[in-house]
Amino acid sequence: MFNPIPHIINGNTFWISPERCIYWEEQNALILADIHLGKAGHFRNAGVAVPQRSGVADLQRLIAQLFFFKANRVIIVGDFTHSVYNKELSLFRKWRSDFPLFQFDLVKGNHDILKDIWYRETQITVHNKELRIENFCFRHEYAADVPLQDIAADVFVFSGHVHPAVRISGRGKQALHLPCFYFSGQHCILPAFSKFTGSYIVVPKKGDIVYAMTGTEIIKKP
Amino acid sequence: MSVAEMMNSKGLKEVLNWLQSTDRTAFDFQIETWQYIRKGESGLVNAPTGCGKTFSVFLGAIIRFIDKHPENFKSAKNSGLQVLWITPLRALANDIARAMEAVIEGVGLQWKIGIRNGDTSIAERKNQKFQMPEVLIITPESLHLLLAQKGNTHFFSELSVLVVDEWHELLGSKRGVQVELAISRIFGSRKEIDNDTCNICIWGLSATIGNLNEAKTVLLSPTGFIGKIVKTNMEKQTEIVSVFPDEIEKLPWSGHLGLKLISKIIPIIQRSKTTLIFINTRGMAEVWYQALLNNCPDLAGVIALHHGSIDRELRNWIEENLSSGNLKVVVCTASLDLGVDFRPVETVIQVGSPKGVARFLQRAGRSGHQPDAVSRIYFLPTHSLELLEAAALKAAVVAHVMESREPRLMCFDVLIQYLNTLAVGDGFHPDLIFNEVKATFCFSELTRQEFDEVVYFISQGGKAFREYDEFKKVEKEGELYKINNRNIAMRHRLHIGTIVSDSMLKVKFVTGGYVGVIEEYFISRLEPGDVFSLAGFHLEYVMIKEMTVLVRKSSIKKAKVPSWNGGRMPLSANLGKKLRQQMNFVSETKSNYIDELKILQPLFVMQQELSHVPKENELLIEHIETKDGFHLFVYPFEGRLVHEAMAAILAYRISRICPITFSFAMNDYGFELLSDQPIPVDDTNIYQLFSIHNLLSDIQSSINSSEMARRKFRDISVIGGLVFQGMPGEKKKARHLQASASLLFNVLSEYDSSHLLLKQAYNEVLEQQMEEQRLREMLERVQQSKIIISHPKQLTPFCFPIKVDSMREDLSSEKLEDRVRKMQIELGA
Repeated sequence: MFNPIPHIINGNTFWISPERCIYWEEQNALILADIHLGKAGHFRNAGVAVPQRSGVADLQRLIAQLFFFKANRVIIVGDFTHSVYNKELSLFRKWRSDFPLFQFDLVKGNHDILKDIWYRETQITVHNKELRIENFCFRHEYAADVPLQDIAADVFVFSGHVHPAVRISGRGKQALHLPCFYFSGQHCILPAFSKFTGSYIVVPKKGDIVYAMTGTEIIKKP
Repeated sequence: MSVAEMMNSKGLKEVLNWLQSTDRTAFDFQIETWQYIRKGESGLVNAPTGCGKTFSVFLGAIIRFIDKHPENFKSAKNSGLQVLWITPLRALANDIARAMEAVIEGVGLQWKIGIRNGDTSIAERKNQKFQMPEVLIITPESLHLLLAQKGNTHFFSELSVLVVDEWHELLGSKRGVQVELAISRIFGSRKEIDNDTCNICIWGLSATIGNLNEAKTVLLSPTGFIGKIVKTNMEKQTEIVSVFPDEIEKLPWSGHLGLKLISKIIPIIQRSKTTLIFINTRGMAEVWYQALLNNCPDLAGVIALHHGSIDRELRNWIEENLSSGNLKVVVCTASLDLGVDFRPVETVIQVGSPKGVARFLQRAGRSGHQPDAVSRIYFLPTHSLELLEAAALKAAVVAHVMESREPRLMCFDVLIQYLNTLAVGDGFHPDLIFNEVKATFCFSELTRQEFDEVVYFISQGGKAFREYDEFKKVEKEGELYKINNRNIAMRHRLHIGTIVSDSMLKVKFVTGGYVGVIEEYFISRLEPGDVFSLAGFHLEYVMIKEMTVLVRKSSIKKAKVPSWNGGRMPLSANLGKKLRQQMNFVSETKSNYIDELKILQPLFVMQQELSHVPKENELLIEHIETKDGFHLFVYPFEGRLVHEAMAAILAYRISRICPITFSFAMNDYGFELLSDQPIPVDDTNIYQLFSIHNLLSDIQSSINSSEMARRKFRDISVIGGLVFQGMPGEKKKARHLQASASLLFNVLSEYDSSHLLLKQAYNEVLEQQMEEQRLREMLERVQQSKIIISHPKQLTPFCFPIKVDSMREDLSSEKLEDRVRKMQIELGA
């Protein structure tokens, strides 16, 4: 049904999944960003009747990806939840208690505003600024054009926050906007895992690599 | 009216006395209206602007009041709301109030006049709640806000006459539906008090449109009255004068020719006292204002610019100075279509196609206000083919062709908003409100099941997982549905209305003072220091602070012109038909040519040489290959919207012959399919491709794959309360509650495809763009006509404007001009 594509960084193999996440083979970990769990619930709580199905479907996709890759660790680079607590999050909690063996790491994003105790009780390890594993760094926000002083040149950074999408155009003035993974130098911005999210159009520069997702397959550019 | 009857009416005597004392006489249609109002009847008054529509109804209301209180009408105070005057435009309220004030004083009543719209202060509103004035002038939105107040039914307990001003403007829009619903509620609430009867007179005031009878039916539908139509016998003579370019451009494109003709209109401006120049878009109006000033510096100080994005206060100032004759030229958009008559206006210039006969005549009517004067309107084409439209307009005026305003049907978004409004107010009883809603014209086909679905949607939030859901909006309390949460109620009140605009930011001088509003999208592309024009100023962008764009005046001559994504009017069916007929005269090369056709001769010669000039009973199709790909141009002359629909259907049908994808472009004359592979259309399959067979199912299949429904959903999602717009100048947006309409469209399509509002988006496409009836008629016409397929070696005069329009979005205006000039040279024109 879907075919992940390998992307090699510093001798490590990262499988790009068309379901908007990356599987890191060496660490047996799934990397993803911006799930915004509970977003539909937050809207509904305020009287905005968006369908609740979207959040549940995101969660089901996450679980399916974990089982597909047989990963035992999840690294979320921010915005795991959308806003303050609502009942939809207890659906995740319920699932979490059924499968307690996965390791969950969350690098805090601007939307992760729940109380510490919730993460503790849900067995999620929270990293306030970043998570480092070997020469890889995980952050929520990272501006590629402003290199940070505290990151060495040989460190590769994964981040989220931006919800990148790319414009794919063909002859005859046809164009599509597709969510994408955006690799630029020592840096990758992940697409938002949730489908109930907007996107920001990135314009790849020379040397950048973009993996765009049509929903079932991946288009690599250039 | 018989003398006996006149003796009977104290009110009539008082009013006639007052008219006499001010040297005025009553027109026949006014007396006729008064008579009906005295009898308690309802109806529609049809008269052009500026001949006393307001008095026909307002004096009638006064007569009714005096007749009811013959002893104490002069001393009666706090009589409760007598006249509810609904107007589409805030700007009109003050003028109407002033005119009414004079009458009340003259007749000697103790009535008070209140104005209620977005500009009314909170203190004033509180006072009104405590004691309603006798006359309330209100917009449809504010009227619904009134219905969102607790205990609102007693506001209307004394109401005698309800007037809907400019009904022709409201009809055909969702604001019209708001008026229908409000009337149904006011009537319903009176029936609850007065034992199932209601003696409110409902009167609509309307300019001439093609379906006056239907307009009356829609207005009175909630009341069950038949009603009367009162017409004036004053008819205006209109003269249309085209402004011709010295040389005709054989490959026309829109957007630049108008400015070249500017020198030709300066003498016209100088000859007349005051001139109104109507321009179709706000962006072009800004350009025209600057160009006029550059060409004729003498105009400084007596020229003004008026459009919907300019600050209200500035517009008020312009309108006042226009009335008093202090301005010589006002460059405006449809923003001055409505409203008060500006007596000093002697000349009207229309730049670019007005798209419809009725609109054109209304604009023409802005000049020559003496009852017998001829209205003269100058037509200035923005590209040479538009002269063909001028010829069509002339023919339409002679034949008395008028467009209809089609009333809107089954607007679930407005119904959802309305039920929420009632729930914020006193709550609603579903059985009672269902019957009221069903009595309106808009919802006459509504089933109880659909109504219950709407109630379910606002109370349960549609499909959900019960145990994990906390949907909160409308709650059931006994028999009533209510909104109790204060935040939700507050948010709903802020969003009542059906006019959806792009995300706008207020523009303000660093030193203070507002200039107007501008689209967020436009500003996001500017850097500080960039200069843009708004309200005729050149403004340097300084920064954005708290949703406000701060600017200072700049002396730099070159400025970027903002684009506002306002709705572009499509060509009306009537004008399209007249346009096709004009083509007959062109190809007949007869001597009965009017000037417009004569001057276009070189263009038609080129079109005929390269391809063909279609007669009324022909449909022209052009296959052209360029370096962009393979083009198919089709020219039905049916207007932009129908062309968009037709392009989608044709693309869908072709893609069933072989897998192929297209992009579309269209203007009012034709449309283009562009592909990267040859398009398999020839005389073996052409009639099949335009067949009526399977039309409905093909329509449905093709809109699924198109962007049209998504675009309709933008407004629907805001009106239906799924998307919150930031208000211009609003400091904080609701945190974590932002989602774009486009995103919601995706989410709903994926997870709740039977959603009411989604269905409505598709229905609106069907109803307005893919209007089955109009498409069917067009296809039938095509089936009976001769289809001519040509293969020109290069772009033709007919396709050139479509091609240029489709390049526009990718290029800046200077680059576009360069490119077009090169293309014109290459193509030998």
